[in-house]
Amino acid sequence: MIGEIAHFFSLSAALLLIITLLLNTIFFFSNPNSNQLILSIRLFNQSCWLIFVSFGLYIYLAITDDFSISYIASHSNSQLPIFYKIASIWSAHEGSMFLWIVFLALWSSLFINGLDKNNPLKKLTLIMLILVILGFLLFLLITSNPFSRILPFGVMDGADINPILQDPALAIHPPILYLGYVGFVISFSYVMAYLCKGNFKIEWEEDIRAWSFVAWIFLTVGITLGSWWAYYELGWGGYWFWDPVENVALLPWLAATAFMHSLYASSKSNILKTWTLFLGIMIFSLSLFGAFIVRSGIIDSVHSFANDPQRGLYLLGFSGLMTLLSLVIFAYRIPAINSSKPVITGSKESFLSMNNILMVTSIFSIFLGVTYPLILESFSGEKVSIGPPYYNTIFAPLILIASILIMISVDSLWQRKMLARKFFRSIIPTFILVTSIIYIFWSLIKEFSLLAYIGIFSGLIILVAYFIKIISSLKAKEYINKGSAFAHIGLGILFLSISVNSLLSYQKNINLSVGESLRINESIESFKFSNLNVRTASNHDVISANVFVLMDGVSVNLNPEKRKYSTRGQITSETAIHATPFKDIYLNIGDQLEDGSWTFSLKINYFVKWIWLSSALMVLGMVLAMQKRKI
Amino acid sequence: MFLIALTSSAELIYQFEDQQQEDRFYRLINETRCPKCTSGSIASSNAPVSRDLKQKIYELILAGTSDEEIKNYISERFGASSSYKPAVKGMNYFLWFGPFIFLSLIILIFYFNKRV
Amino acid sequence: MSFLARIFLILLPVLIFIFYGKVLLIDDKKSNDYFEPKEFPVFQLNNFDGIPTNLDIISGVKLLNVWASWCITCLVEHPFLSKLAESQIEIIGLNYKDDKTKALDWLKRHGNPYTSLIYDPRGDLAFDLGVTGAPETFLIVDQKIVGHIQGELNEDKWKSTFLPIIQNSQKELN
Repeated sequence: MIGEIAHFFSLSAALLLIITLLLNTIFFFSNPNSNQLILSIRLFNQSCWLIFVSFGLYIYLAITDDFSISYIASHSNSQLPIFYKIASIWSAHEGSMFLWIVFLALWSSLFINGLDKNNPLKKLTLIMLILVILGFLLFLLITSNPFSRILPFGVMDGADINPILQDPALAIHPPILYLGYVGFVISFSYVMAYLCKGNFKIEWEEDIRAWSFVAWIFLTVGITLGSWWAYYELGWGGYWFWDPVENVALLPWLAATAFMHSLYASSKSNILKTWTLFLGIMIFSLSLFGAFIVRSGIIDSVHSFANDPQRGLYLLGFSGLMTLLSLVIFAYRIPAINSSKPVITGSKESFLSMNNILMVTSIFSIFLGVTYPLILESFSGEKVSIGPPYYNTIFAPLILIASILIMISVDSLWQRKMLARKFFRSIIPTFILVTSIIYIFWSLIKEFSLLAYIGIFSGLIILVAYFIKIISSLKAKEYINKGSAFAHIGLGILFLSISVNSLLSYQKNINLSVGESLRINESIESFKFSNLNVRTASNHDVISANVFVLMDGVSVNLNPEKRKYSTRGQITSETAIHATPFKDIYLNIGDQLEDGSWTFSLKINYFVKWIWLSSALMVLGMVLAMQKRKI
Repeated sequence: MFLIALTSSAELIYQFEDQQQEDRFYRLINETRCPKCTSGSIASSNAPVSRDLKQKIYELILAGTSDEEIKNYISERFGASSSYKPAVKGMNYFLWFGPFIFLSLIILIFYFNKRV
Repeated sequence: MSFLARIFLILLPVLIFIFYGKVLLIDDKKSNDYFEPKEFPVFQLNNFDGIPTNLDIISGVKLLNVWASWCITCLVEHPFLSKLAESQIEIIGLNYKDDKTKALDWLKRHGNPYTSLIYDPRGDLAFDLGVTGAPETFLIVDQKIVGHIQGELNEDKWKSTFLPIIQNSQKELN
């Protein structure tokens, strides 16, 4: 019964939205009647509430184990803790789509109601938001109904969700990520409203500034969480595989980062307006494209939901339509938007312009990597796989160029060419310092890889440039943009740690029996397999190995496990990780061989903690940047 | 069933003559796609065919085969899609040089139009 | 921004979306059409009686089915294979990573559709063929591999994938 009520609420929400939309389009060309707008917003708020209540009821159904609902039966189980029962809602297509819509409604209602009542763009923004929400809501109700029942009686108990998904980080990864993507719907709708309105005297950047900051933070944290989870849960020792679905998650983030920079220039300096508007459209279009890729199953990936051409077609059509319409309106309005002042070479704006160019090139490269296998197979039948080797090769030079530009632009000025004296005073010491560091590094460490060293160089020039800048600004008691400093230092650390990680990390596959020990190499003097414990936990059996690793004089205890879950008989491997500031000792237990011995996979991963740190720094930088009341 | 080993089995599974061979091995297995999995390299896969492939690459390295020859060996059997690094030939030139061409085009466009 | 650049800005996404639409709607059905013929790998394996396999068995038009007693899906496709073996085409069985006794037992229990058997306990020939698991079936025409199906062979796949290739090769002969 409750399921039907919830379903009814969702349907009513859709209906209300349609009515509101009609109300605004039919009377579109009449004089904007403020009562009409107030009514529209009220109706809109009502439909958002209907969506919230509908979802709230759905959570209730999940918590109370209503296994007559097909989706809940497939993805939840009575044995699950409440937290995971709720998380199971967004573990697959229908439920996560529902969550997406809830967040759309949440962000939209907060934004619309927060707009000043005399804001000239209010009505158009409302229309855009309604179009987006309606598009997804109809998609949900027509093709992916989360309320469908198993008739006549449902099932006795749910199928357990994948034990790999029963993890706190993974449970909150989708909501945080979605809050990020959906948050950029605000900027999209506002940009579209601005373009449609055609009055280019309106100052629009300030209104979406704070909202975009928050959305960016959610997006960054969401992607980092996914990466962190992959590292400690999946057992392969990596944190990013350039998997198609990882890639489509990164695309909006790149556009969003470019957008944030461009917005800054646009509102401070009245320049790069066209870029900012374009990027605002791009973020959302790329999110839509991502949703299509993930939910249509068109590309094989560990992440993708089931293959369903009907859903794929709807999402493709919807994204295509939205993107096309927005780009057409954008293209139509561009001539009127061009700023009166050209970008001066060597000014801060020119660096931000280059940043946009590099970001768009990165987006293009990833897009190419994702689409190329499909193109090739479609036209010649040949299959090809594109993975880390390709992306690393393409991104190394881009990162290098970006880092050099960041280094130079640290001292750049708005609307005029950078002072040559500053240029020489900071660039030359930076280069000298970085080259020395790399030389010292290379003489200590014999490994070499061109791509890794490009990355190390890139990271270092950013860090040293900021180091010099901070010192000289403190001495001269000049203003330092803290947000920018933290964020870019974070970026430099990211480049550095990724590169060092790829250069220095290594792995060893080991075979030994209980009680035996083995010397691995110069630094790992002893790997001792003490004993094996077998025990039973709540819903799984565990084999746990007790291992002592003596590395660089320090003895570390690790307990990798193999688990077998009772519901589906699934076997998982729990990695044992000993994390220190500079390296992680990462151990997996493999299989037992015929002679009773066990195989182990030992990885030494360098600078992993620094990767997480860099993400935290970038978020911190953004938070600090947000504090500035007005640019 | 835990059997008691009569002789010591403690050893590194893949033992090489020098560090360079070992580095080549781990690089190759990370670049080779698991033929059976939806996604992922043979390094991170425990599927039987992945294990066979790792063993084969190990043997080939010890026998002195070059990286190029090993990749050809694998793609003859498991197809061109078995490597995560597409060959630089034919249509793939668009793939490898596309980003660079794109970047150059965009820089040119904006060099001539500075009012954005 | 010039008119041309603006047109390009709109055209590119349009092309991308049309392409993805094409892939979604059309390509799925055609995915099996392309297959690069390749030479059958050289091998030295015996049958279950220990007699080395004569390479003549892979001439003509034959199927090579990769199977094992531990493979559950092989049991599922077995009736269809038997039907094929009776009337349409000769099937060679490649026993993959199996125990000889268990394999013979399996054949006795379920029936033997194979005209010849190759015993590949280590999976050497299978590896050279690019086999990733069982069951898999290869179509051989004159010592060349011209078709490959992974997973269970059934009426649909036989008709859509293998038959057209067989018919094509017969046309070429005539």
